[in-house]
Amino acid sequence: MKGKIFLRRLATACAGAGIASAAVAPAFAEEMKVGFAIAQSGWMEAYDKGATQAALLAIEEINAKGGLLGQTLKPVIEDTRTDLARAAQAGQTLLADGVGVMIVSCDYDMGSPVALAAESAGIISIFLCAADIKAGVQGIGPHSYSASSVANAEGATMAEWSYTKRKARTGYVLVDTTIQYDRSLCAGFDWMFPQFDGAKVVGEDTFKNGDTSIASQITRIKALPAQPDVIMLCSYIPGAASVARQLRAAGITSPILNGTAMDGDYWLDSAPGLKDFVGLAKGSFRGDDPRPDVNAFAERYKAKYGALPVNQSVFDGYVAIQLWAKAVEKAGSFDSEAVVKVLDSFKDEPSLLGPRTFTPDVHIQTQIPFLVTDIVDGKSKVIDQFTISKNIPLDVLLAK
Amino acid sequence: MSANRPLQRLAARHATSVILSLALLATVLLLTGLASPLVVRVGIGTLISVVLVVGLFIFVGNSGILSFGHLGFATVSAYATAWLTMRPAMKKMLLPGLPEFILSAQWPSFLATLASGLLAGLVALASGVFIMRLSGVAASIATLALLAIVNTVYANSDAVTGGVGSLAGIPTGLGIWTVLGWAVFAIVVAHIHATSAAGLALKSCREDPIAAEACGIRGFRVRLLAYVLSGFVCGIAGNLQARYLGVISPDSFYFGATLLALAMLIVGGMFSLTGAVAGVVAISVAMEVLIRLEGSIELFGFTVSIPAGTANFLIAAAMCVALVKRPQGLVGDREITLPASLLGKLDRHASNSKNNVGTTTVENTL
Amino acid sequence: MMLNLAQNLIDALSLGSIYALTALGIGMIFSVMRLVNFAQGNYIAFCAFALLVPAGEGISRPFIGLLPGWALVPVVIALGMLLAMASEILLFRHLRGAQPATMMIASFGLGSALQNLLLMLFGSRPIAINLWPALTQPVMIGSLMVPRLQLVILAVTALALVALTLFLRRTRFGTAMRASSENFLMARMLGVPADRVILVAFGISGALAATASLLTLPQTGIADIRMGDGILLVAFVATVVGGLGSLTGAVLSAYLIGLVSVFLQIALPLAARPYRDAFVYAAVIAVLMLKPDGLFSADRRSQRI
Repeated sequence: MKGKIFLRRLATACAGAGIASAAVAPAFAEEMKVGFAIAQSGWMEAYDKGATQAALLAIEEINAKGGLLGQTLKPVIEDTRTDLARAAQAGQTLLADGVGVMIVSCDYDMGSPVALAAESAGIISIFLCAADIKAGVQGIGPHSYSASSVANAEGATMAEWSYTKRKARTGYVLVDTTIQYDRSLCAGFDWMFPQFDGAKVVGEDTFKNGDTSIASQITRIKALPAQPDVIMLCSYIPGAASVARQLRAAGITSPILNGTAMDGDYWLDSAPGLKDFVGLAKGSFRGDDPRPDVNAFAERYKAKYGALPVNQSVFDGYVAIQLWAKAVEKAGSFDSEAVVKVLDSFKDEPSLLGPRTFTPDVHIQTQIPFLVTDIVDGKSKVIDQFTISKNIPLDVLLAK
Repeated sequence: MSANRPLQRLAARHATSVILSLALLATVLLLTGLASPLVVRVGIGTLISVVLVVGLFIFVGNSGILSFGHLGFATVSAYATAWLTMRPAMKKMLLPGLPEFILSAQWPSFLATLASGLLAGLVALASGVFIMRLSGVAASIATLALLAIVNTVYANSDAVTGGVGSLAGIPTGLGIWTVLGWAVFAIVVAHIHATSAAGLALKSCREDPIAAEACGIRGFRVRLLAYVLSGFVCGIAGNLQARYLGVISPDSFYFGATLLALAMLIVGGMFSLTGAVAGVVAISVAMEVLIRLEGSIELFGFTVSIPAGTANFLIAAAMCVALVKRPQGLVGDREITLPASLLGKLDRHASNSKNNVGTTTVENTL
Repeated sequence: MMLNLAQNLIDALSLGSIYALTALGIGMIFSVMRLVNFAQGNYIAFCAFALLVPAGEGISRPFIGLLPGWALVPVVIALGMLLAMASEILLFRHLRGAQPATMMIASFGLGSALQNLLLMLFGSRPIAINLWPALTQPVMIGSLMVPRLQLVILAVTALALVALTLFLRRTRFGTAMRASSENFLMARMLGVPADRVILVAFGISGALAATASLLTLPQTGIADIRMGDGILLVAFVATVVGGLGSLTGAVLSAYLIGLVSVFLQIALPLAARPYRDAFVYAAVIAVLMLKPDGLFSADRRSQRI
């Protein structure tokens, strides 16, 4: 609700900034519309909101520097209402409005109708933070990108980190089958962990996010001859918090590994005194990021929106605009084909979050640096920085 | 009776489906003539709901058994559509578990629609052989269980369905005339079935199962027929939905969508084909209007922001009010038909028994 | 192995208890007015959010949730009862004599309205509530380590069942209610005050929803606007499998479904485990085929929703 006024105000502010810069820019300066088909209502809103705000911030910063190729970027926002049919409509509305690039929902499922529409119109679409290989060439087409990394990379990072840094030799995999992200997350762990000497996945189990109790899954873990060195828990709020609470209540003390979905402190009340809950982050907005640029970004975000970001998707949202703008600048044109060509040639291109690479086949990150976080005294803290040693091949990502 | 006036008889018998079809045609003409492409898109979505809810009516309306399972048939058909129409290269990548002849298939859309509808009908037949032996609330719960089974199976068979996430890449470009054609088809099929011997027999089972059995009607057979037919029509709706969005997921055909379809039918009038169409139109229009209101509005120069969820809250509340005001549905159990004067000397009785099937009074336990 | 079996049994019973409380709430209303109340799951979510002050996205904080248990429990139960009774007075009372299907869809409308109301007040993000953390500590029974909460769930459910049985058997109102559930029309003719009986049934179902909510929260630690949905579906099925109109049947089948779920989770191989619910529902169809009137049906009248 607040966000809505906010976005509108921001859109007006950006437009205002645009006019100001247009005054000093050459007379032929025009607007380039940037379409946002994102959820402003429904459950997806929680994920899209921060990422969109960060993307808008990036646009504002570009406009403040005189725009892109002399043109002012003008965000146009349509609500998908977390509904496939509405999303498709939002996409059509934006295309009819003549947007030059389409920013779509964080989630592959919700964003795909819009991205497909953009694809058939020959317009570049960028998923704000989809973690699925399908959010790109494979599931949409050659004009579609994700600003994020595959979920498998997070699982693989946890596997290699826990093996090398925590000397974990036995891992237990607990996967929430409700959404694809968690299946891919655990698939990444399953792929990486057994590749190391002496490391073994000693058991696997499934549950659903809405399960009231995972007592029987816990009983199975307790029946193991020894507690596993680590438990890879692939799930999200609310299920993940509930499982963490139930695992600890049952006296299982193995470190719990997770991806980026649980970053932040807001859920910790549901598992008080939780320790050894290791997660990942693209960046930290609590001031403890090893990279000054990221801390500065968090400050700018706070100055703009009155509060720090609440989830990781925020960083991806900023990077989405950053990478696209860089490619436009290099291409010297807004033309989709030219921009795609530059994007596909990005190799270790610097971004707010570190190097980014695209190839004509892979339009999402598969090997990037992550921050490793742990819960210390009821707060999430950055404890390490880690990049996996090998790239995840495409056929592993597509394996069923 | 009026065997010497076949045209009038025909008109009387098919008045309902003709009038409903013409009404939809007029709306579509109006939309394509005057409205923006976006509103036409909304129109396509609404017509797909007409196919779905009319399909649901074929079974629910005539048998009086609430079915929760019909979106399961839409699921089956939507995925069959993906199997038959997606680009082979994409299928090899996303659905590697499919057999070779399907992997290489790329059927024309009309054939694919028929085939996926038939597959849905086949699943209805296979499940109906068991479930249609039940009646009343037990049958309802069995259909709910069927829906849960279909959902669970499709959400977890990653190699052939792409799993719980969305499957994108189904060729789109569905025009409003195609959908209108299928909506008319659904209405005509529903009406012919409702006025056929099997449809009337099914209604008699609904009204009084014991008397119907006594008259030699086999409840199981007529129920199964309606179930398979409605499974087929709902399958068509699933196919259209897939081609409309280009993206499908098991959960978009699950419990929420089921209850919405049932709500459309019941708000319109559970035992009436006219009601089924009216319910879809009423709820779709209400949703469209209320959703446009959401966001922020200007009041005396101040921008008031309306919190998310308001539109859906109002839709739900409006539905409750509508049900309280008209518990029998918007049109009750009547059908739209030609006025008697227009039907000339046609025997009143014949027209009544063919079009109206009397007034439905379902015995109530209260 | 024996230890595991015992542990699994306790798991199944505590899962079944939550289902049973909800099935009882649905069965209670069904037996007196043939309404399948889909809003029962939303009552559960409502009671959980009643612990919080609505302050919008992400910043809602506990309010009632800070009260000590002796005050919190009655307040939440009272709120649950009020909500359920209000839905009877404001909505269902105006649908007397309507088709059961119409009432069911109205209850779906009510549930959807409630869910969206919570969305408007609290936002879509689940909210962490640390209710009674002490309950999550395990206790040792012999060499069996059981979370205290599971024992509490079992005990509270047993208590609720006993209290309800006593109410139905020993009080005048309970007798009226049982008579109504046997044959509502007859009971009404014999002078049972219909509206009051129905109102009390709603009150009880609201109290049961509040109880289910208060037992779920310490387990999950999270309030979510959709938290009742999964429970509702199972409870609904349990009510029918048990034989509509039979409260005992509803409770027993709820436990049975809990037992089957836990058993499948243990027995199925990993590859088949995601299909768990498909097996549960296939079993439901099989049971219905064998006993169409329900496993524990009280009467053989044919009914329609």
